[in-house]
Amino acid sequence: MKISTTVEDHRIAKLTAIAIGLHLIESIVPSPLPGVKPGIANIITLYVLYRYGLGTAAWVSMLRIFAASLLLGQFLSPTFFLSLGGGVFSLGALWVGYQLPRQWFGPISLSVLSAFAHIAGQLLIVWLWLIPHTGISYLIPVFASAALLFGIINGLIAARLLQQPPSTT
Amino acid sequence: MRLFLTCCLLLLSACSREPLYHSQSYVFGTLVDISIYGEDQQRAQALSDHVFKDFQKLHDRLHAWQPNSELSRLNQSFAAGTEPVVIDDALASMIEEATAWSVRSGGRFNPAIGHLIQQWGFQRDEFTPVAIDDAAIGKLVAAKPQMTDIVIQGQQVYSKNPAVKLDLGGYAKGYALDRAADYLRSEGVRHALVNIGGNIIALGKHGEHAWRVGIQHPRKPGPIATLDLEDGWAIGTSGDYQRYFEQDGKRYCHLIDPATGYPADQTQSVTILVPPSDNNGVVSDVASKPIFLAAPAERVDASKRMGIDHVMLIDATGRILVSVDMAKKLRWVEQDVIAQPLL
Amino acid sequence: MSSRNPFSNQRPLWGDWLVLACALIVVAFTFYRFWQNETAGKLVIRQGDRVFASYSLDQDRTLDIHGPLGNSRVEIAHGKVRFSSAPCTNQYCVHHGWLSKVGQVAICLPNQVSLELIGAKRPYDSLNY
Repeated sequence: MKISTTVEDHRIAKLTAIAIGLHLIESIVPSPLPGVKPGIANIITLYVLYRYGLGTAAWVSMLRIFAASLLLGQFLSPTFFLSLGGGVFSLGALWVGYQLPRQWFGPISLSVLSAFAHIAGQLLIVWLWLIPHTGISYLIPVFASAALLFGIINGLIAARLLQQPPSTT
Repeated sequence: MRLFLTCCLLLLSACSREPLYHSQSYVFGTLVDISIYGEDQQRAQALSDHVFKDFQKLHDRLHAWQPNSELSRLNQSFAAGTEPVVIDDALASMIEEATAWSVRSGGRFNPAIGHLIQQWGFQRDEFTPVAIDDAAIGKLVAAKPQMTDIVIQGQQVYSKNPAVKLDLGGYAKGYALDRAADYLRSEGVRHALVNIGGNIIALGKHGEHAWRVGIQHPRKPGPIATLDLEDGWAIGTSGDYQRYFEQDGKRYCHLIDPATGYPADQTQSVTILVPPSDNNGVVSDVASKPIFLAAPAERVDASKRMGIDHVMLIDATGRILVSVDMAKKLRWVEQDVIAQPLL
Repeated sequence: MSSRNPFSNQRPLWGDWLVLACALIVVAFTFYRFWQNETAGKLVIRQGDRVFASYSLDQDRTLDIHGPLGNSRVEIAHGKVRFSSAPCTNQYCVHHGWLSKVGQVAICLPNQVSLELIGAKRPYDSLNY
């Protein structure tokens, strides 16, 4: 049996592999507070968005979330759904950000927007599903601050990557 | 810019040392708290200590179930017969004031039913369930103890009815509130808030704003609403939640209907607001009881009789009924409160 | 494909500063909204006429407070607090369950122990109970 693959498929596979790697690294780095993570895999999503468009970015992001959760044995666990919720929301934010005039809004804007959407999606899932009545609202300022900080950093890194000429795979 | 900086500094200084002194203690079997604003801390402390001591003295005098209190000795002589005893002017005027309110309430406020209250086990520090003795209760009601049975002649007092046993539990806290307000005013205190177990009187303001009072939700741990208690106003709540016992799944609260001899069960709480007068502490205490005891159709009439315009009542089903005047004052704590007019 | 990279300038653009400013406002708002008001920060426990202690609700712990009738047990867990047991008969204080919001109060009159949750601002000066 032979599955015919396109250049696009190869590109997605390669970029997803990098994103999964970053996701896994992040999952073993201890975090001071559950939920506060730099989200470095998002750098890849941003990079892909600018280089190859929203469709490819969505593929890379979703494949990464599914594959990483399978590798970590978290598939269909609350962690997976948190990840998925955050991923879907942040793709939504990227779609909105992508419509903004390119000469005024750069990768930093999109990174910050998607970081906020990511945490909003996760909080929404926690709120609706996991622990409806909770003191989690007390942590919202912490999450928001982290989203701002890591959104900026990831945006700067993505902008730096985008300066280099695209690889020719 | 200079103005802005000044504002900041003012704000900072206001934050750092607000001239508010707060203290609390347990007197009258309940929690008493006193806030004094705008006085030197040491002076405020001395003033509130004095008020607490005065409350404790009053409580000892009027204690309804310690056999050696002044009130108990009076009750013993009431029970023994019509031999007059000598009392001081203060106690005589308290009895006269309570009698006047009892008459005005049509007998729903009746401090002469001490025997009934004892029968129900509420003349104790702890409210354990009692065996309900219908026959004994019937007898105590049939004996018709009334405040008007008490005869005061000069300094001498006796009761025409040996069934009279004074329990000033529904009056003493209000009386103490008026005394505290008088004392603090006479000492030149302009801003204070005194709370005796749900009867509160306000003097002046808390800084720029009126004193703010929370009204306890009868079934939840926290306020159902808050309101501004303006200078000189008093507020009083009667509820079925602090003093009660439960037996066979039924709640028996300390508010006993003198007409039936049984605890009221149509109401969870009544809160009234009383405009400034020289005895509105007493009014805040005595006037909520008849409204609490009244049958649903008679609640408005009961509040009119007592001269009360500001009423909030929560009935046995949890329905919130509010008079028009009261509705204007209340700020609900939860957004989804449905209050109905009490007309 | 690579004629001129529109992202050759990695410096933040005009709109980026706008987004950052908005994000900063959002963060500031969350601090104001969630750390100033609603969620209770501090628990004040009183026994008799004195303040027994005051605690943050962030740290779980169990406390025994001695009153005239005996020990009232207070439990702090997951940002909430309750009377988990009390020596009084009607158990009104225990029946209140968990408190978590500013302004909430549980008072045990018989054992003279009270719990009050306070935030940056007291929602009222005194409670009419």
